[in-house]
Amino acid sequence: MHKLRWLVLALLTMAALVAGACGDDDDGGGEAGGEAVKIGASLPLTGEFSEPGKAAKQGYEVWEAMVNEKGGLIDGRKVQMVIKDDQSNQNTIVADYNALISRDKVDLLLGTFSSLLNLPASAVAERNRMLYVEPAGGAPELFERDFKFLFFAQQATADKQGEVWANYITELPEAERPKTAAYPTLDDPFAQPTSEGIEEIFSKAGIKTVYRETYTIDNPNLDGIASALKARNPDVVVHGATFEDGVGMVRALRKANFTPKILYQTTAPSLGDQYSKAIGKDTTEGIFYAVSHSKEASTPGNEDFVAKYQEMFGGEEVPEDAADAYATAQVLEAAVKAVGTIDRERQLELADWLRENEVDTILGPLSWDDLGRPEGEFLVGQWQSGVPEIVLPEEAATSDEILPGWRPEGPG
Amino acid sequence: MTEFLQALILGLLIGGVYALLASGLTLIFGVMNVINIAHGAFLILAAFVTWSLWRAIGLDPLLAILLLTPAMFAFGWLLYNATIRPIRKAPPAASVLLTFGVALFLEGIMGVIWGNTSHSVRPSYANDSFNIGELFLPKAQVYGGLVAIVVLASLYLVLTRSWLGRAIRASAVNPQGAELVGVNVASVAALTFAIGVASAGAGGAIASVLYPFLPGSHYQWIARLLGIIVLGGMGSLPGAVIGALCLGVAELMTVTYIGPEWATGVPYAFVFIVLLLRPQGILGTRLRQDVATA
Repeated sequence: MHKLRWLVLALLTMAALVAGACGDDDDGGGEAGGEAVKIGASLPLTGEFSEPGKAAKQGYEVWEAMVNEKGGLIDGRKVQMVIKDDQSNQNTIVADYNALISRDKVDLLLGTFSSLLNLPASAVAERNRMLYVEPAGGAPELFERDFKFLFFAQQATADKQGEVWANYITELPEAERPKTAAYPTLDDPFAQPTSEGIEEIFSKAGIKTVYRETYTIDNPNLDGIASALKARNPDVVVHGATFEDGVGMVRALRKANFTPKILYQTTAPSLGDQYSKAIGKDTTEGIFYAVSHSKEASTPGNEDFVAKYQEMFGGEEVPEDAADAYATAQVLEAAVKAVGTIDRERQLELADWLRENEVDTILGPLSWDDLGRPEGEFLVGQWQSGVPEIVLPEEAATSDEILPGWRPEGPG
Repeated sequence: MTEFLQALILGLLIGGVYALLASGLTLIFGVMNVINIAHGAFLILAAFVTWSLWRAIGLDPLLAILLLTPAMFAFGWLLYNATIRPIRKAPPAASVLLTFGVALFLEGIMGVIWGNTSHSVRPSYANDSFNIGELFLPKAQVYGGLVAIVVLASLYLVLTRSWLGRAIRASAVNPQGAELVGVNVASVAALTFAIGVASAGAGGAIASVLYPFLPGSHYQWIARLLGIIVLGGMGSLPGAVIGALCLGVAELMTVTYIGPEWATGVPYAFVFIVLLLRPQGILGTRLRQDVATA
């Protein structure tokens, strides 16, 4: 009997803790009252994707504030964001979006962060026939399901993310063009297709693959990978990464005393200050990456967005993920205003409108194919003297030179 | 050949750190028959405290060990008396549930204090290596391995050369017999638990430099550490060291010769095969206590 009591007590404690850990709601400070248009999203505010998740929340909040200052979204009705925390968990996010639709009765949805989470979340939206524009979910497999309500609000899907950069490299003069490439990649629906897309272009141009391996996030063993890279000595390393492993790989390459001529990483280098603090400012010199947004871009509304972001959250930096989330909301706004409805029954009309029209966003004009895949081109970024610059395409460049490669000892 | 040697060195260095992390777990099991599922959470807690000390006053993680070990010792002692002592006579399943509860509780507390985001400690030497010809030895891993040797050697000396060690071993082998000759088994158990937690303190400080961590990271650590002590023979300190080195080398060899995506799977397949051939683990023996409590 005594043992049983302890067993029950232990189980109760655990149950209480698990229940306590389940997501809190955050009503995002919108207008109270029945008039506001409720827009729901669940973001990874905690857990593995919490850095981009928190930035995305800021982006949605900036949009909410700006739309409300301009008098609201539709019929003078203001916007109220309902944001939940999915804890970077694929199960929680399904529960969250179901709850947003059936319990919170939101009028519209906005997407979450990372392909991994958008994959199940978009299925919930599709089943409920609600428009689902997502800020970060570029994995090609998302668009292989014939969904009618899913749209990705960046310039291109993951397999095309490195295209502009890869073409630039293959068009370098013979003497500067790399001969061999290595592709260590995280097992992730975004990182992997990006690196495969680049490999395809490189292989066609005769750049030989000397290493392609995938690792998992729970056991990255980056020192081992760096040692394998050193042994193969590729001219260019294309690293399919998220944040932590991106930082870890740079550190592992430094420990292994291996400096490839050119280093390209997905995601991590686009995280600004965080990235340069994590690996050291000097070490960033010359690292390439793809990026969707530039603070300096002259796209319509960008200046206002940057100013509002800095007013609300301070600091010089504007995270790319915040800009992507803002652009996502801009896409939703454009569709709602053009069609003139937020009716649950008429969301297919919103989707059809997006399929046929181009939307001006702070990322530039966005348009989509029948499956919701964007049809634009990414910007290419490069760290120069401790600052992330846009180097390609030329019309969007913030720096007039492109450094030939990675110089981890720093500039000069 | 260079690649093989490099993988071997990196594997041994990581294995050394694993040994440090697993030592407390195996000690606690050996003496008390408690499978301490919270061991991973103690480790992450120590990692977070190391991070805070590093951020606040720039304290080097290696020096933080000097503060963390006694602090975690005290924490372990208090925790033992508050939670585990009352269920000491209960079957091992109760301790699994209880320590799992402690792990979840600590995870929640860490989430509130430090947030559920990834942290890592980066002292100046985090990106540096010692070089021997073509080979590189990452400094953080070398220091980690050295600390592991010091801590494990001290543990070994305490266990074999001191009265406390003899009492711990006596309690492990035959608690009833130990009571008969005047050992207060309950106090010894509390001290052993505290020593185990203190070793997690030292391990956490080292791990904070080598791996990024967040409150939920304890699950992946406890899985790996349980694999190590099962491989080595549960309750055996030298067994844990051998198990840890085997697992470290197996991981690195897998990364180098099979592919990094197999780095989690292959070492566990290795554990599985060893256990098929030798169910008690590499150095495990059927202890007298198994018979005595049966």
